[in-house]
Order: sequence, then C-alpha cells, then structure tokens
Amino acid sequence: MSTDEQSSGPTRESRRSGPLVAITRWMENLGETGFAYLLLTPVFLLLGAIALYPLLRTFELSLYTNIIGTGGPEFVGFDHYVSLLTGESDQWLPGTSQFLWGDVTVDGAFPFVHVQGVFRSALAVTLIFAAVSVFFETLIGFGQALVLDQEFRGRSWVRVAIIIPWAIPIVIQGMIFYLMFHPSTGFATEFLANYGIVAQNNTLNDPASSLLIVTVADIWKTSAFMALLILAGLQSIDRSLYDVAKVAGASRWQQFRLITFPLILPTLGIAILFRTIDAMRIYGLIDSVSSCTVVPSLSCMVVATFGSQRGLASAIAFVTAIIIGIAVLGVIYQQYKEGL
Amino acid sequence: MARVTLNHVTKRYEDVVAVNDMNLEIKDGEFVCLVGPSGCGKSTTMEMVAGLTKPSEGNIHIGDVDVTTLPPKDRGVAMVFQNIALFPHMDVYDNISFGLRLRKYDKEEIDRRVDHASDIVQLEGMLDRMPDEMSGGQRQRVAIARAIVREPDVFLMDEPLANLDAKLRVHMRTELQRLHKELDTTIIYVTHDQAEAMTMSDRIAVLDAGELQQIDPPLVCYNEPANLFVAGFIGSPAMNFAEGKLVPGGFESEHFSVEFDPSQIPGASVGDRVTLGIRPEDVFTTDRIQNLSSATASLDATTDVLEPMGDEIFVYLVLGESAERSMEGETASSNQLLMSVNPDSDIQEDEDVEVVLDRSKVHLFDTASGHALAHGIEELPGSGAGGGPGTEAGTGGRTGADTESQVTEAESDR
Amino acid sequence: MSGETQTQTQTQTQAQSQSETEQGPLANWTQGVISDPDQRSLLYRALFYAITIFFLVTTLFPFYWLLVLALTPNNLILAGDWDLPFLRPQGFNPQAFVEVFEQIPFHLYVFNSFVLATMTTIIVIIIASLAGYVFGRLEFPGRGPLMLAILMVSYFPPAAFLIPLFEAFTGNPVVAPFIGVELFTPPRLVNTPGAMVLPFSALFLPLSIFILTTFYAQIPDGLEDAARVEGTTRLGALFRVIMPLSAPGVATAAVLTFIAVYNEYFFSSIMALGNEPQQWSPLVGGLLQYQSLYSTEFNLMAAASIVGVLPVVILVVVAQERIVSGLTAGALKE
Repeated sequence: MSTDEQSSGPTRESRRSGPLVAITRWMENLGETGFAYLLLTPVFLLLGAIALYPLLRTFELSLYTNIIGTGGPEFVGFDHYVSLLTGESDQWLPGTSQFLWGDVTVDGAFPFVHVQGVFRSALAVTLIFAAVSVFFETLIGFGQALVLDQEFRGRSWVRVAIIIPWAIPIVIQGMIFYLMFHPSTGFATEFLANYGIVAQNNTLNDPASSLLIVTVADIWKTSAFMALLILAGLQSIDRSLYDVAKVAGASRWQQFRLITFPLILPTLGIAILFRTIDAMRIYGLIDSVSSCTVVPSLSCMVVATFGSQRGLASAIAFVTAIIIGIAVLGVIYQQYKEGL
Repeated sequence: MARVTLNHVTKRYEDVVAVNDMNLEIKDGEFVCLVGPSGCGKSTTMEMVAGLTKPSEGNIHIGDVDVTTLPPKDRGVAMVFQNIALFPHMDVYDNISFGLRLRKYDKEEIDRRVDHASDIVQLEGMLDRMPDEMSGGQRQRVAIARAIVREPDVFLMDEPLANLDAKLRVHMRTELQRLHKELDTTIIYVTHDQAEAMTMSDRIAVLDAGELQQIDPPLVCYNEPANLFVAGFIGSPAMNFAEGKLVPGGFESEHFSVEFDPSQIPGASVGDRVTLGIRPEDVFTTDRIQNLSSATASLDATTDVLEPMGDEIFVYLVLGESAERSMEGETASSNQLLMSVNPDSDIQEDEDVEVVLDRSKVHLFDTASGHALAHGIEELPGSGAGGGPGTEAGTGGRTGADTESQVTEAESDR
Repeated sequence: MSGETQTQTQTQTQAQSQSETEQGPLANWTQGVISDPDQRSLLYRALFYAITIFFLVTTLFPFYWLLVLALTPNNLILAGDWDLPFLRPQGFNPQAFVEVFEQIPFHLYVFNSFVLATMTTIIVIIIASLAGYVFGRLEFPGRGPLMLAILMVSYFPPAAFLIPLFEAFTGNPVVAPFIGVELFTPPRLVNTPGAMVLPFSALFLPLSIFILTTFYAQIPDGLEDAARVEGTTRLGALFRVIMPLSAPGVATAAVLTFIAVYNEYFFSSIMALGNEPQQWSPLVGGLLQYQSLYSTEFNLMAAASIVGVLPVVILVVVAQERIVSGLTAGALKE
C-alpha cells in the first residue's frame, strides 16, 4: 500500500543526499562506544581546556620563578615547594602570613599546646577552618534533618527557611557577617567581646576573631546542605524497621542509636567528605568578611601572590590541589566500594 | 515491494551469540511470527530488521533496498512495542502523528491519515486524551494506529499483546488478524506464546538459541516438526517423548515398544538411538480405536491424575504392567504418557487401561541431533489388519534426512 | 537490641517508681515522663518545637539583621544604639532601596549576574544532556572511570585553575604544558562574559551530568526505540523524547546551575578586572564596590544585599522540591 503513496511524502529518506544527511547517517551507524565518545567530545573539550590544561600548566609554572616585572621566567625546579616548607617564601605572602606555622610548645597553661602563629599559617588556617566548620555543620545539619524528617504542618516552609542560607550568594553571606561585626555598625562585637569570644577592637582585623566569624558564617550557610544530604539518607530508611523496633519495645533513643544512626552512617561519611573538600577551597567568604591578609587560607594565598610571584602562586595552588586531591581519592574510594 | 530478506545474519555481543547465521525470507504481505523461548534471539532479530541493533555479519534487505546500514527512520518500517511505548508527554493525536510530523507532511495529509488510522483501530473521539487516561487496550490501539499511519512497508510487532490481560489478548489477536486482512502489509510478529503464533500467522519461524529451527505454516510446524525442539515447543500441552532405540522390529524403549519396519526410516539404521514423539490427542484408549485407520499394538498403562479442561480431559498415564508411579520428574518422561480424551469419557483415576498410538501421528527423531526422522510410521508388512498406509504416504514422506534443507525448501515451495 | 537489655530497663523503671513515689513535684514530673507515654510524647513534642524554632531563628535572623540595617537611616546606624537582645530598626527609611540603584548602577550588576547565569545554564544543560545520555543509556568501555574523572574535576579548587586561565584570558598565548610549544593565542576574554561563563560551565557541569544521568537512565528503552523507528535519529530521540520526559530533572539541573553561578565568588571577583558593570562584573562586583568605595553607607550595603538575595529566595521558594531532589540525587547518586 505504500507504493502508490510515494508522491505524498518521502517514504524512504535513504534516497536523499547532501552533507547533513551524510553526517547524520555516519552518526547513526556509529557503534555504542563510538557514539558515546562522540557525544562526550564537548565535555572533554570544556574540561580539558578549563580544568586539565590549567592544572598541568599550574604545575609547570610552579617550577619556574616568574616575578612580575622582572623579565622572563627562570627554571628553579622544586625550589618553590621547598621554600614553602622552610618559610623562605613567606616574604611573598601578604602581611605577616606564613605557609606553615611556627614553633610548637607544650606546657600546663590552657590550651596546653601552643603553636606559634597558628592563625598566620595558611595551611593551619585552612585545615582548622575545614575541620571545625564541617564538624559543626554535620552536627547542626543532622539536627535539622531530624526535624525535617518529621511530619508536621508547615514542614515545607521550615524546609525553605533552612535551605535559604545555602542558596544565597557568598558575597551576601560575607556582607551580613561583615555588617554584624563591623566596628561602626555591628551589634555583635560588643556583645561577644564581653565574654572574651572575639576581640574588643578591630575585630575584623584580628586573625583569631576573624577566623571564628568566618567559620560561624560558613556553618550558618552550609549546615543546610548537610541537612539535605542527611535527610535523603533518613528518608531512604525503611519505615517498617521502626515499627519492628517499636513492637520490640525500643525507646526513641534506642531507635535512633540502633537503627537510624548505623543506617545513616555511610551517607554521613560521604557527605562529610564532600563538605571537607569544599571547605578547603574557602576564599570568597574570607575576602568579603575580612581579608586574605587577616585570615590566610590556601586559595587566598594564591590570589594574593599571583599578581607578584606567579611561580610561587602556582606552587601554592598545586599544593592546594594535592591536598584536595587526597580527599577526592577518599570520595572515589567510597564510590568504588559502592560499586559505581 | 516489501519482501524482507535476512542473509546470513549474525549478532554477537561480547561473549554471547544472540543470533547465529539467520536466513529468512518473508514475502510481501505475509504475516510471519518469530516464536521461541526467551533468549532465543527473536527480539534481537526483530531489532536488527528495525535497525535498532546492527548485525555483526550478514545483510538485511527490505524490498530491493539493502537496509543493513540504514538507521531505523529510513527503513520504511513501523513498530509496535511490548511495553506499548506511547510518549507519555503527548496526547493521542500527537502520538499517532509523531512520525508524520517528523517527516514534515502537510497538515491536511496528517489529519487525513490520523483520521483514517484511528478509524481502523476504533479510536474516534479519543484523539485529545493523554496516554495515562486510557486503558491498556486503548493504548495498544494507539500504538497500532501510530504504526498504521505511517503506511510502512513492514510492520514489526514485538510481543504487542504480552502486557494485556488474557481476555483482551484474545480479542486483540482477532483484531490484528482483521487488520492484516485490511492492510495487506508484511507483518513480522515476535512472541513467546506459541498459541498466538499458531492462530495468527501465515508462517511461523521457530527460533532457539539464536538459530532458526523451522519456518513453515502453523499446521506444518504442528504436524511435521523439523526437530525435537519444534515438536516440544509447538502445541499445548506438549508432545510426549520417549527415548529409545531402533531395533529390527521397530522402536523399543524401557517401557514400551512400537513395531514397524526400521528400513522405511531413511537416514537411520537399527541400533540408532531415537526419540519417539506422540501428541496427547493421538493417544487413544482401546475402546475408541475404531476411529483409527492404523493403530499400534496396545500398551498397558494405569491412569494417574486427571485434569478435566471442560472440552477435553488430560489423563496422565503411567506405562508398564507393574505400573509404578514415578515421582521423579527427571525420569518420568520415559514411563509417563499424557493422553487427551473426550470430556464425556468415564475414565477414572488409578484405572488400568490399554492405549494405542495413532501410527500416522507418531514422530521419530534422532536423539543425538534432534532432527526429525519420520512423521507417521507404516505397519510391519503382513502384521495385523489392513491399516491405511495411504495416510503417511503423503505427509509422512517428509523425513528428517533433509532437515537442513527444509527451511529453504519450505520457502520455495510455498 | 537484645531482649535482655529491655527487661533490665523495665526492671529499673519499676524499681525507680517504687522508690520515688513520695518525692517533690519535679521528681513526680520526671516520674510521669518516664512512666506515662502521653506525658513522654508531650515532652518530645515540646522539645521538637523548641528545636525547630531555634533552627528557624538562627537561619533567619541574619536576614532580619539586613532588613534592620537597610531600614535604619545611616546616621543612626553609625550611632550604634542597638537595643539588645531585641534588635529593631531605628527609624524607617525605605529610601535606601531606591538609593541603592542611584549610588552605583546596582541593577546592571544584577543584570550581568542574570545573563552570566543564564548563559552558563544553557551551555551546561546542553553539554550535560549529551553526557547524561551517554552515561545513563549507553554501555561502553571506560564508562565508570570517566564518570569518576569528571566528578574529580568539580572538586578541585578553582585556585588550581586560576593562573593559567587568567594568563590565557588576558590574551597570552596558550602553551602546551612541559613541551613549551605555543598552541595559539586566544582572544582577550577578561571583562567579557566568556571569561566567567567558561570556568563556570566547567565547574558546575559535573553536578548536572550526574543529575541528568540519573533521570535519563530511567526513561524506558522502548520509548527511545519507538522514536527512532518513527523517524528520529538517536540525538533526535534525546531532544524530542528523553529530555521532555525528564523535564523535572532538567529543571533541577538548571535551577541548581543557575543558583551556583549566581552565588559564585572566586572567578566572578577576579575575571572582571575593574568591578565595573560595563566589564560584565556581576553581583559580587557591585557589593564589593559598596564595601570599598562607599564604605560608610551601611544601610545601602544592607539594602543592596537584600536586593541581591531576593531572586534566589524566590527561586528557592518556587523550586524547593527540585532543589532538594537534585542535591540529594546529584551529590549522593542514589
């Protein structure tokens, strides 16, 4: 019946020709593997140009000294990495900041271990920030997730309220805390300084106080992210397990300890890894609340030096990448265990 | 012209051969069922005809065009899928006209064809419904209309009725036959249900383990199965099989024997291991023997379980004088025999009976290769009263020696 | 959870109830909580609401603080007489919300942010759709390792990419690493959308790939086959059938990408050199402009923050389901 209808439309497009048809035909005849890699080409191009190339090039640059305005780059091998560890390169870092911390002494006075210039050290500040913020974010996020896991009226509005801090721009997050602690406007400085929590004067230029403020700001914003990840884990728990536990006479605390917590643990692990990786990239919040001179994070040091000593900046950037890479390996190991 | 030809088509996946050296010729306007158990390669074969899968070797022609490397859209085929596969985000009209709109037909032509197609499958007045507002049967009609509207050279149907309930399935079967009569287009139909294949198709292609076993009209497949697999697969309940060997007096197994002249079986000689096959309806109790032109000598048996089906009764027989009921499924085949009897029969459980087999319906297979050796066997000359040797002279002529060539033969002489 | 422990707990409870029958009201109350399930659930309820309210106050208070600042005239802010602990605006000056756009063209910065976010979202959705189709629907060697490699990229620090990108975007030749061969000289991209859209796309691509992979994988094969037999190519089936059917997933990926770009700080602050709106400086530039040039106009900073935050707040309220499902699906790959 199709033979007499050919005039009404193209029944067999095979008879068409032209470059477009040829390309389409070629694509359609690719095997799954060929087709897969063809479609991934844009991803490879983009990530190759914007991620892989810069990463390799950063490593290459880190082997050269390239002081802006003093002529061409000069090959120095791993000198930059060595000088970071010996402290020789600290002169290039902004203000009084260093890459490593100073002497460590232990005595009887609180907090017993005293580290010289710990808040001046880019490495220490980054690690402290990551550890402390992730710890509290996990705790608070868990609490928020438990709240959101309940059925109650207005739950979706509470959820919106809890998510909103996560969704606001970093610069505005920074602005809020900047305004809270700015000497001319802040209500919080006076209040907290009375308890000795932050410095009385010049709070945003005090390394310890600023680090604390930045950490709190991050906890405020990012707990919600933790909460959502944990909530997803909670909601994947089979509800009938709780019925079994109830019938067996378990109290709420026992239900939490014996069912909820063990089942949520893998989710929690991967969420913590993700957050730690993210926290170690901290830059924008510091830049907008305080400044990189006051709170030296690793990313901060890259930005602060790349206009003057590009080789050293590259070395710091690559060290940052390595530290984060180790954490990424943790994630990959987790994914591998789950059989991605 | 919409002949479909498969020449030496093979499809290999990493470690399995899904379809092995398949040769098929489907004539214009023919309704062919590809049937076989799951994993036999029937769906892969259809996907290769559709172009959804590329064969590893061989080529496929639709009409006069070699379509082996053409994408599905350029093959002039339309397909109805097992899971119906209506686009859930489009209403019925958009679903049916999808292919036409892609081909940039003009609006009036599309409307005319959609109207016509929805007429054929009785979907008038439902064109603005969404698929999730329709019943399973209605959705199936939409899927069929979507295929009809393209006026394709070949219809491909991949178990289109598998997801429907039993009653609707029977109804849709007749609808599809009516549709085939109306459209007169080539239809290739995949199913695992041999009853579906038997009732609808002009020819059945039986597949197993990626290989074509037989392609013939339904009754030929039923009466003259090319091998053990086809014999066992076509027909419900399945054919009885008994393993044994050829002896000078005929066939002998552990529990019974059938006498005939082994020299009439070409391609086999005394001493060969053979399998005898007999369908349940070709087993008779001796009191009904008068209908038979030629019966074997009677066998002693005991009735075991009865399964009254309404229109017939299935009787499970245990063969042998000291009829010991064997509970082991594995060995049961050799001393168990299924017989179907008239529903008004007064046969009882645990009754000693004598049964005979209809000689003209006895099948012999080579046990090792599975190939059919003979369909129908003649009496030993001079033994017993005159049977009707004429019955098997015609049909029993086809013997297993040429099973290989049977496929091509079947194609050419029909 | 052995039966033994429970029996012990029960015995203890009984023992307690015997010994504490004649004690004060607090003890009685505690007693009630321990033994009476109604009282206990009441306590849980009260605790639950207390915790919920605590979370609400802590998350929302900073926004209230912005509002207080924005509405308080600047001279009163500088006077700094906040009545703690119940902060409220000193005076009422909605004029700040107008002034915000007068001091600097703040609307242009917001507009730039919108344009950058929209451009990035479109690029990301197209590229991630192709990749999501590949990872979700095709079987091919190297699939798992490739996905992991892409995941890794999104977690490297932007700082590790900054220096070579900055050199390239300022018009210096791109040099093949370690070989020293100059490949080509790119156009000067700084101060154009390209200098931000490119890094944003690379940075936020992986999350969208993961979300779309999950969604595209769920579309039944039959629908794609049907579309192909009906007359589309494989790519045609992706854009005509798979994508429309995965609309919720595409929306999720789009919303998350948009928010991520709108919120980005690192490249936003560096790649627009002068923080000028004409140089495509986004929201970040506008606010930093207030912090540095108008460093005493605190009410304007607060008002600008509120203006800047409004679009995302609206987006979150409208699309909260999508955000929640996307974050959990994308990050945990469930």
